[in-house]
Amino acid sequence: MSSCAIPSFTIRMEGASVAEFSWPPRSPLEHALVAGAYGVREVAPGIFLTEVRNFELIQVMARRGKGAELASATTARFGMAAPDVPKAVSASDVMLIWSGPDQFLVLSKGGKYTINTLSQAFSQSASLSDQSHARAWISVSGAKARTMLAKLSSIDLHPTAFPIGAAAATSIDHTSVNLWRGDDGPDGQAVFNLLLFATFAGSLWQTMLDAGAEYGVDIRHSEEFA
Amino acid sequence: MRIVCPFCGERELGEFSYLGDAKPVRPAAGAPEDDVFDYVYLRDNIAGAMSEHWYHAGGCRAWLKITRNTLTHEISSVEPAAGAGAAEVGA
Ligand SMILES: [Zn+2]
Repeated sequence: MSSCAIPSFTIRMEGASVAEFSWPPRSPLEHALVAGAYGVREVAPGIFLTEVRNFELIQVMARRGKGAELASATTARFGMAAPDVPKAVSASDVMLIWSGPDQFLVLSKGGKYTINTLSQAFSQSASLSDQSHARAWISVSGAKARTMLAKLSSIDLHPTAFPIGAAAATSIDHTSVNLWRGDDGPDGQAVFNLLLFATFAGSLWQTMLDAGAEYGVDIRHSEEFA
Repeated sequence: MRIVCPFCGERELGEFSYLGDAKPVRPAAGAPEDDVFDYVYLRDNIAGAMSEHWYHAGGCRAWLKITRNTLTHEISSVEPAAGAGAAEVGA
């Protein structure tokens, strides 16, 4: 989600006028996302496209020679190790997603693992970067999800090649994304998650709608941390 | 052409960007001007196996050192470039 300043002006009698800014988070898809049906409507939707809003996303990068320290700090903080291969692991309130050698993403519900709550734990071993408002999080599921994504991604997303918990740093439509497969949905279908750069989110969103139109798309947004 | 990134696995060429020859070594400070000129501008035009730097720009953003045959595009080795994965090796 990107932030947008809404200035509210307060005139102070005794001094100069002071502009006070509040920064309510807004989704980069706020205008592009129209909840409801898209594409063919004669059939049950083959694709469920959900934007998940209100999350914390912190990039953690190990400092030089500090891999072992980071590993123990991670286990101490989250009770699980960060993946050192392209995978995503999760607990009830947090996901650790591999994003490259010596680095991973900490994804949690808004207000949970903020950069302030993590900076102390990793101060000796890693550099942190707050990406919470720099990405849009899209979840793609449904019977035709993999078929639709196959039009955009060169990665093999077949269950044998991309099982639950698999993750990838890859490109879709020439744009870098983080992609991972979460737990299957209640309908038994695979759920693919994408983190998109906020400024590219509108473009990639439209690309996914175009790719999915022929299967029927059900569009939603949610604040539920999956 | 596909490249097997040591961190990500096999990926299409479009995810990578090419830097070039991995052989040139930066001359020491105070080296003769000719050495610096060679380092900056002069490259061998190799027909055969060549050591190259590639960047997995559309993936894990690691630098890679790749041995590629410029005649056939056959890649015989891919390894992290110096510094990639530095948290483990401390290099
Ligand atoms: Zn890679």
